[in-house]
Amino acid sequence: MLLVVFEMIAYVATTPRPREQFFQLYVLGSKRMAADYYPNNNTDISPSETVTWYLGATNSMGNVQLVELRLKLGNQTINPPNDQQALPSPAPLVTEFKRFIQDNETWEFPFVWRVTNVRFANNSTHILELEINGETFQVVDCSARSGYNFRLIFELWTWNTDTGAFQFGWVIGGEHRVAWLQIWFNATQAR
Amino acid sequence: MRSSRRILIFTIALLLILVAVHSNTSTYLRADEIQPGFNQAITQVHLAESAGATQSEINELLKTLNKALELNEQALKLTSPNDAQRRAELLNQANVLLNDVQTKAGALETVASQRTRTSTVLAYVYGGIAAAVGTFAYAFLLAFYRRYRIKRTFQMKVTAK
Repeated sequence: MLLVVFEMIAYVATTPRPREQFFQLYVLGSKRMAADYYPNNNTDISPSETVTWYLGATNSMGNVQLVELRLKLGNQTINPPNDQQALPSPAPLVTEFKRFIQDNETWEFPFVWRVTNVRFANNSTHILELEINGETFQVVDCSARSGYNFRLIFELWTWNTDTGAFQFGWVIGGEHRVAWLQIWFNATQAR
Repeated sequence: MRSSRRILIFTIALLLILVAVHSNTSTYLRADEIQPGFNQAITQVHLAESAGATQSEINELLKTLNKALELNEQALKLTSPNDAQRRAELLNQANVLLNDVQTKAGALETVASQRTRTSTVLAYVYGGIAAAVGTFAYAFLLAFYRRYRIKRTFQMKVTAK
């Protein structure tokens, strides 16, 4: 009887317990809190005005993961990512950040950006260039009426070892899950 | 005659455009296309983790993987033909690191699986030893209790009421 009890204890101690596997994606404001996302709390971002956020992803998948955070620039009309069908947004890609993350590790880095080239024409604002963390990125034409309701879309992509390519979100137990965020802003002329 | 010459010029121009487009698409490669070594390295690291490698052991491999990724990113930014040699050097360095990760992860998998097997066997053996010790302790305590009860019985004083 005792032998059975102790062997059961040994079995429980040596068998890894199943746990929920997931990723977390977040954006924090300039003070590393879920606030102060815009300078002076004003969603109107004028050209050359610098905005500081902190971008982070946590891996709780139980093993090392290659993660890619894709940044897209959208306007009011473009579709956001589709949660039900696990489809990424068709908005133009600006840049991407990649890193291997260990299990239970959080990868966080400052995301400092500003609009460096913008064209105002015919009641429409076109963002042509963004500077992100000191590097300049050209943007495939993205415009908004009077500069209102632009959005930066952050999508979490992971490396799929079966296909040998990045996939939007991750697959767990045959279920495709996604993580994405968007932050709205207005690109207005200098105040 | 003139029309056939036009067709010939048009065909050559078309071929030249096709070659140019092809060479352009060949030089622009995405990160997930150029390094199949990444996939093999991740797979090998996953095997080491499944075998029971610890977080600190994996952390060493992770640093090397991130270094390889960084080199890969640097190489991708070099799109000018003048940078071809530098680009090849960076990709080569990344490949060396990825091969290193694969080798170390393979060795780690062997060590970790042996360690896991040993600790599993030991856990069951300790379980058996604990059961035997428990059984002996129980038998000893039972015998001690019985002796105590007998001793107490003989120590009883019978008094008339």
